[in-house]
Amino acid sequence: MKTRKAPRGPKVAKFGAVLILTVYAAFTLFPVLMGVVNSLKTEGEILNNILALPAVPQFLNYKTAFEKIHFFRSLVNTVLVVIVGVAGIVLFSAMAGYKLSRTPGRLSYLLFGLFVMSMLVPFHSIMITLTQIARTLGIQGSLVGLGLIYIGLGVPMGVFLYHGFTKSIPRDLEEAAIIDGCGEFQVFFKVIFPLLRSITATVVVINALWMWNDFLLPLLMLTDSRRYTLLLSTNMLFGRYVNEWSSILAALILALLPAVLLFLAFQKSIVRGISEGAIKG
Amino acid sequence: MLLVFVLPALVFYAAFVLIPALGGFWYSLTDWNGLNPSYRMVGLSNYVEALTNDLYFLRSLKFTLRFVVHMVVLQNLIALFLAVLVESRKRGKIALRTVFFMPNMVSMIIGGFMWMFVFSRVLPFLAEYSALRFLDQSWIGDPRFSFWAIVIVSLWGGVGYLMVIYVAALQGVPANLKEAAYIDGANAWHAFRHVTLPMIFPSLTVGVFVTLNSSFKVFDVVYSLTGGGPGRATQVVALNIFEEAFKMNNRYGYASAKATILFAIVCGITLVQLWIMKRREVEM
Repeated sequence: MKTRKAPRGPKVAKFGAVLILTVYAAFTLFPVLMGVVNSLKTEGEILNNILALPAVPQFLNYKTAFEKIHFFRSLVNTVLVVIVGVAGIVLFSAMAGYKLSRTPGRLSYLLFGLFVMSMLVPFHSIMITLTQIARTLGIQGSLVGLGLIYIGLGVPMGVFLYHGFTKSIPRDLEEAAIIDGCGEFQVFFKVIFPLLRSITATVVVINALWMWNDFLLPLLMLTDSRRYTLLLSTNMLFGRYVNEWSSILAALILALLPAVLLFLAFQKSIVRGISEGAIKG
Repeated sequence: MLLVFVLPALVFYAAFVLIPALGGFWYSLTDWNGLNPSYRMVGLSNYVEALTNDLYFLRSLKFTLRFVVHMVVLQNLIALFLAVLVESRKRGKIALRTVFFMPNMVSMIIGGFMWMFVFSRVLPFLAEYSALRFLDQSWIGDPRFSFWAIVIVSLWGGVGYLMVIYVAALQGVPANLKEAAYIDGANAWHAFRHVTLPMIFPSLTVGVFVTLNSSFKVFDVVYSLTGGGPGRATQVVALNIFEEAFKMNNRYGYASAKATILFAIVCGITLVQLWIMKRREVEM
């Protein structure tokens, strides 16, 4: 059978589409491209012609930037926070979301509502008291403490996503496991948790990205510059060296590189995770 | 057993969200200044002061509202338009998605600083050495233009994300429905308006919701791009609260009242938006 295709638009429309997509792609890449090109120039070259390619690539700018933002230290600090936060969010919200989804009754319903309710509260409404609580608990200034706070901020959405996903898992498996003599924790960790892995991937992606790119909470929590995350170290450059654009641009490129590389490597699952999270959340 | 499974999540949630949220509301009724351990109840006077007597706060509210309106309209229109164009292509879909989505991976702090270079150095250069004279504006220094600078950078960061959502929605529209419309003599616009749009309307609800939520709370772009300046001309609510609490006079109680006002506005507007759009979803 012949299928009827959409009527072919005139050539003009097709050309228009290509043109618009190209222009938007150029707009997207422009600041990054400008950043990369000028990060390899001398200050004089930047002043002289901002569009020209560097005569000799000044990799020294990157060395300077590397030292100025303490790249490795800042990177390790950031990774530590993300690992603590993501691990806690995945583990605790999987447990809670699964159990709440499987338990009927008013208490379970209320608890679920309590988690979901907060998803509208803006961070600014809690940040002031949060700094006080962190001070009281003695975790202000600590990277692990920052990760722990992220757990609290991240579990509502995690619980919500795991709660929804658990519904799609048949109960026979856990019933069989219980008949075989498994305890509830064993059932969860051995049987259920592996079955949740596709939603776990989504939860990991969404939360890792959020923490990696979050600025305000670390700004409030980390006071000692040795504990600064990548973003805080980069932010430090401004106001002090604003006229040395070459090494600042090099620092900006360094700071955005890890996330962009990860994106290029895991693009498919990242995009899927993010769009799934948005549609379900 | 329910409690054993829920408890860890609940403890962290209570300590770092619930108690701070309730505490914030409580402090908004006091004159606590963060340094002084003692404080007293002042009733609603913080709210009254913020809404009647605080010129900078009211200006930041107005500025934020204007920003939100622009973002909701522009970000969703551009994202939907690009999604339709990308979907109409046979080749290069993945490459285009990669490019458009990439800014979403970059913190808006970094993005803001990179754009600051573009606005303060690259555009003036282009204006001087090309025919693009209109680019020669004080993008960061003149509030009329820095509003647009903030919008442009926010769109740069946010459009790709919504586009991915809309592409996913467009792919969910069954091809035979569109074919049927074409057989019935519809043109491309009619098919889009009467077949595709109703089918993807639920994702539009999500898109508008996401934009409302994020642009009311906008902070990073403004912090890195203009710092709220010149003066306080581009100060958004989040920045106003931040400065009130942590930069200027540590009026924690007063800043908490402002934060509660922001919460009430975001909550009210998003609920109305969800209610209206959910109803339209049924009608369409």
